[in-house]
Amino acid sequence: MNEAIEFTVGFSHGVEWGWPIGVYLLLAGISGGALIVSLALRYYKRQVEETPLLKAASLVSFVTIVFGMVFLVGDLEKPLYFWKILINYNFKSVMSIGVLALCLYIPLTFVLVAVVFEGWIKEHLSATPLSKLFFLFPLLKALRPAVEVLAFVFAIVVCAYTGFLISVLVRFPLLNTAILPALFVVSGLSAGTAFSSLIASFFFKADAHGGDMKTLHTIEWPVMALEMLLLFMLFVSLIVGTSFDKQTAGAFSQGGYSALFWFGVVGIGFGVPLVFNFLLGKKVAHSAFAFYLSGAASVLGVLSLRLFILYAGQTFSA
Amino acid sequence: MEQDEKRRNFLKYLGASSVVVGTIGQGVLAEEQAQTSNESKKPHYGMIFDQNKCVGCTECEVSCHKVNAVPQGQARLYVQNKTDPKTPMEKRYVRVSCQQCEDAPCVNVCPTKACHRDEKTGIVTMNADDCIACKYCIVACPYDVRFINHETKAAENCNFCLNTNFAKKQDPACVQACKYKALVFGDLNDQDSYINQILHVKDAVRMKPTFGTKPSLRYIPVVKVGV
Repeated sequence: MNEAIEFTVGFSHGVEWGWPIGVYLLLAGISGGALIVSLALRYYKRQVEETPLLKAASLVSFVTIVFGMVFLVGDLEKPLYFWKILINYNFKSVMSIGVLALCLYIPLTFVLVAVVFEGWIKEHLSATPLSKLFFLFPLLKALRPAVEVLAFVFAIVVCAYTGFLISVLVRFPLLNTAILPALFVVSGLSAGTAFSSLIASFFFKADAHGGDMKTLHTIEWPVMALEMLLLFMLFVSLIVGTSFDKQTAGAFSQGGYSALFWFGVVGIGFGVPLVFNFLLGKKVAHSAFAFYLSGAASVLGVLSLRLFILYAGQTFSA
Repeated sequence: MEQDEKRRNFLKYLGASSVVVGTIGQGVLAEEQAQTSNESKKPHYGMIFDQNKCVGCTECEVSCHKVNAVPQGQARLYVQNKTDPKTPMEKRYVRVSCQQCEDAPCVNVCPTKACHRDEKTGIVTMNADDCIACKYCIVACPYDVRFINHETKAAENCNFCLNTNFAKKQDPACVQACKYKALVFGDLNDQDSYINQILHVKDAVRMKPTFGTKPSLRYIPVVKVGV
């Protein structure tokens, strides 16, 4: 009876949230992850100076989230009306809560950049009209501890909200899971770590194999292991679930998106860093080439993960 | 002696706390009752689709397009042919449209409240001006019956012709167009309404009830009798 009465067509066009949202999810993850790691390290090591990692991470977190906004607004069918989302709020909507969090987070990252780069700004911008704003620096310095704590908290909120944003979509078994927000925070950490250490080493002359970079290098592997574990849990929850869940588990084994998963997420994201750091000997592992390649591979892997979750997620519906 | 004191205190607190908790409970209960009596005064519009009567003529689709100015190639309402190829003579059709959920995910996720429940009628509808077309409602809908209107660039759903026929105190366009009376529209909170009379005598089902959104559309499926 049910099979003849239940309709099987819909009015949407399959994947309604496409690659711009995937890229936004990556950028938000990088932004939040970079700040979380660098600030946690700063607290843990009780650093007071402006380390290359902090410089890189604050810059990365601000720039990536701003670019993320471009993709987010660009994906709207009415991009010029995006301001409506800033004046209307629905606190039952994860998107609304996320917008509110971003409204606080973006200015915080901006202030952090200004504080961290105070020396550079005073040196290079004193001839410009912006120098009239230099009187604000003592105030910002006083506020810095509070700014750092808030930025740390909201970095976690931003990373997690991107997961909750799509985990509330009940139609899609791959998305409608409790694991997704955790997976997004952990993969954000991994991409944020990789991206900010690349920038720290390339632009701010951080020693690629010593100091903070060395610490990050040791954190990197447990984070990756956690990411693998969460993905495995996601897969198991699908194969032991309802008929819709079992059907969705096919996302990992059939069709184009499974290739994205195995080549992009597993091959590039996990495989390349593991091979270059453990399998090819110490000489290769300590080379600059391996450092940059595995960093780029990590970021690419997380991009693949976000795209896989988004596309495969919206392809298999209950 | 000390034990005794402890026990006495314990009993005293027990008595006092039960009074406090009891009153709070009473208050909550009274509030709930007040709410439900308020709600029962409000209408709850629903619709029945009778699969036994539908012949798949799609006049409802045509009428819906015309009345609600739905752009070509798009639809608020679609009639799907679900006839089993093995039994081509036993025709089965089913209405695909917004299920008007009582707990509507589209309303919950909309960041601008453009997708909302009409205050007077309780019908889930759109304020196209506030919609920024983020498509969150479209992916959140368990029934996949929402779309972005190409012309207004706003999300849209079947709202029982709220702004067109309903405003003129008429039945929805699809109900008017159906020659076979396969569609019945009415107030589910009104015990004397025709829709309730039918629901009292016929078995009707909700689509995908496991999603828990309490749809207001009811389907009367074709049932084989006697084997």
